[in-house]
Amino acid sequence: MPHGLVTRLRRAVHRARVVTVRSTRRAVAQWRSSMQLRVVTTALAIGLAAIVVLGLYLSTSVRDGIYEQRLAAIDREAARLTEQVSKSFSDTATTSDGELQILLKDSIATLAATGGSTAEEYFLLHEMGTTVRVSDIVTRSDLTDVIITDEVREANLASDGDQVLQAVGIPSRVANGMASPGVIVGSTVQAAPGAKYEIYYLYSLEPEQETLSFVHRVLLAGGFGMLALLGVVTWTMARQTVTPVTRAATVAERLAEGHLSERMPGARGTDEMASLARSFNEMAESLQDQIRRMEELSAMQRRFVSDVSHELRTPLTTIRMASEIIHESRHQMDEDAARSAELLLGQIDRFESLLADLLEISRFDAGAAVLDAERRDLRDVVMSVVEQAAPLARTKDVRVSVRLPDASAAADFDPRRIERILRNLVVNAIEHAEERPVEVTVAEDDRTVAVVVRDYGVGMTKQEVEHVFDRFWRADPARARTTGGSGLGLAIALEDAHLHAGRLDAWGRPGQGASFRLTLPRSAGVQIAEPPVTMAPASHEPGLRTGQIPVVNPAAGPTPTAIPDLSDPGDDGAERLAAPERPAGNDVEVH
Amino acid sequence: MKVRVLVVDDDTALAEMIGIVLKGEGIDAVFCADGDSALGMFRTHQPDLVLLDLMLPGKDGVQVCREIRAESGVPIIMLTAKSDTLDVVVGLESGADDYVSKPFKPKELVARIKARMRRSEDPGPERLAVGDVEIDVTGHTVMRDGERIALTPLEFDLLVALARKPWQVFTREVLLERVWGYRHSADTRLVNVHVQRLRSKIERDPENPEIVLTVRGVGYKAGATR
Repeated sequence: MPHGLVTRLRRAVHRARVVTVRSTRRAVAQWRSSMQLRVVTTALAIGLAAIVVLGLYLSTSVRDGIYEQRLAAIDREAARLTEQVSKSFSDTATTSDGELQILLKDSIATLAATGGSTAEEYFLLHEMGTTVRVSDIVTRSDLTDVIITDEVREANLASDGDQVLQAVGIPSRVANGMASPGVIVGSTVQAAPGAKYEIYYLYSLEPEQETLSFVHRVLLAGGFGMLALLGVVTWTMARQTVTPVTRAATVAERLAEGHLSERMPGARGTDEMASLARSFNEMAESLQDQIRRMEELSAMQRRFVSDVSHELRTPLTTIRMASEIIHESRHQMDEDAARSAELLLGQIDRFESLLADLLEISRFDAGAAVLDAERRDLRDVVMSVVEQAAPLARTKDVRVSVRLPDASAAADFDPRRIERILRNLVVNAIEHAEERPVEVTVAEDDRTVAVVVRDYGVGMTKQEVEHVFDRFWRADPARARTTGGSGLGLAIALEDAHLHAGRLDAWGRPGQGASFRLTLPRSAGVQIAEPPVTMAPASHEPGLRTGQIPVVNPAAGPTPTAIPDLSDPGDDGAERLAAPERPAGNDVEVH
Repeated sequence: MKVRVLVVDDDTALAEMIGIVLKGEGIDAVFCADGDSALGMFRTHQPDLVLLDLMLPGKDGVQVCREIRAESGVPIIMLTAKSDTLDVVVGLESGADDYVSKPFKPKELVARIKARMRRSEDPGPERLAVGDVEIDVTGHTVMRDGERIALTPLEFDLLVALARKPWQVFTREVLLERVWGYRHSADTRLVNVHVQRLRSKIERDPENPEIVLTVRGVGYKAGATR
């Protein structure tokens, strides 16, 4: 067989197997999932078994009854006929063979002609093993050898006057016709002294057979009818029970989807189903009530937060201006008053940013946040944010590097919001970097643009990562308090990202630093499947391992394998890597 | 000459505080606490600039802004407690030149006022042309076909900034810096709204501008001179 054919065959077999397995699985799954189907199939299986057993029993008894009756009748009739023949033989004395021949012929003819005989054919044969005196009288000679076998004859002769019954198949008169059932009855008669004859009667059982097949047909039809009836009955009953349950399930699903006004019909009756519907509807009612109350409360709360934030702004403006005037004239005050003025101004700043964040989050909660999108290049926004964060980075002695792709990272976004997210991430990273580098990586693909802000600072535990976007959540309450921030920054960043149909992911390991990735679709309607960059992209500095302090390298040695040489701390004296090999892409350093 | 500012705000504490801050900068302030009397005050005092709160008892700020703009091109800066898109845009469209959202820093307010009061002092007469519009920078007039087109000082500044370098495309950020005096990126809607206002005055068909052209994805530039 050619190789190709084998493979094709194998494949076809495999496909067939797969299809079979699948369709079987589908059928099993459907059977499991539909209670109605299960009830109906179970009822049908049990019904079928019962009907088969009952049918077998009925047909056997009917057959036995019919045949036994008929056989008894045949037995009686044959005995009577034999007696009649014997009598006619004994009444007539024959002297010659010719007379005997006539006698034999007449007696059979009388049998066939007189009423009371139902035998089909008659056979009068000379005793087996004796010489022929006169020819045998047979009404149908073609059957003699076929039906009256030697075994039957021997049994007949051996029975000594008793009748012998033997079931036979009567060959059809038509060629290749079906054999019909029959029974042969054998006996012996003394035709003349010394002339013992065997007599056989052939009875057809065809009518009985026909009756039986008719009974069978009736039984079969009845069985199927019963089965169908059973199926319909169980299907209807199962339906009556299942339908309300299904309806309840559908209504419950609708409720779960938020259609709180959904109710179950049929609650007016008195049966169990109506009571189910009633209690279900009561439950739905109270659920709807509670949710509505909660919604109202929450809407009220949101409006309250928004109103308070707005109302606070005017007096805050006055306070702010007053405090600045006081602050400017602090040199004319005594030391305590001057310090108080400084504290006042600092806290007003904090209060103001908290208020702004609160207002922003209340706008998100109210669904009033509007996306003011335009086509911009993410690289430009990132650069601008990093430049703005440069003074802070200098103060904290953190080196910020940026890696930009060569291709444009243009996308439709709200620059104000994206800038806010990035400022938040970059400032957070610098504040938690602990003087280790902060790396900002921009990446893009056909559908999305992304930016990862990575630091190598204290890092976060898994629990901290889970809560990092929570409102007013702080990784380390004692520490974060001094660095300021409202505690809403990342929550707002997440809302901003979601407003763009984008993603904001967090990653962190204790001691290895943390990483935040913002992924934005290039345009509206694009689904983000896989961000174009991993959470922890390769470090911008080859040779620098996570968690390690940058190693000092002589300015002359451009080898990437950083050899510590503490005797020559480099021109700026700080712990810095001297000109690491530039990796692919545009790296920009802001320090 | 001492600069005079009309402060229209119902919050007297804030108005007084603004007065104190402005006094420190050598600016005179007159106060008005409701919208109904604002126009009267404006006519009486003829201020060089108006600080206008959007939420006022009586006539609201937007209405006051329209009324002042109807009779004068004096710079108007809105004070707004809501930085929501719609409020700001409505305010700008009613004729305000700039806005400051509460809470603002005194320095921010002063910077905004000074930016609006700053007059470009050009040596010698300067005449510019964009399309069929002639601009006399020194005389502060804009003419088309011998007819004068009335522009507010801000709209005039915007047009001059574009007309001086007709070959250059200005981004919104650059215009914000040149015309409004913002050093850092600010609300680019300021530019959008004022370009629309300027077009409605100087274009023959504002739907198909010939004087101030949009360069998609970048910004604006002046039209070709005829």
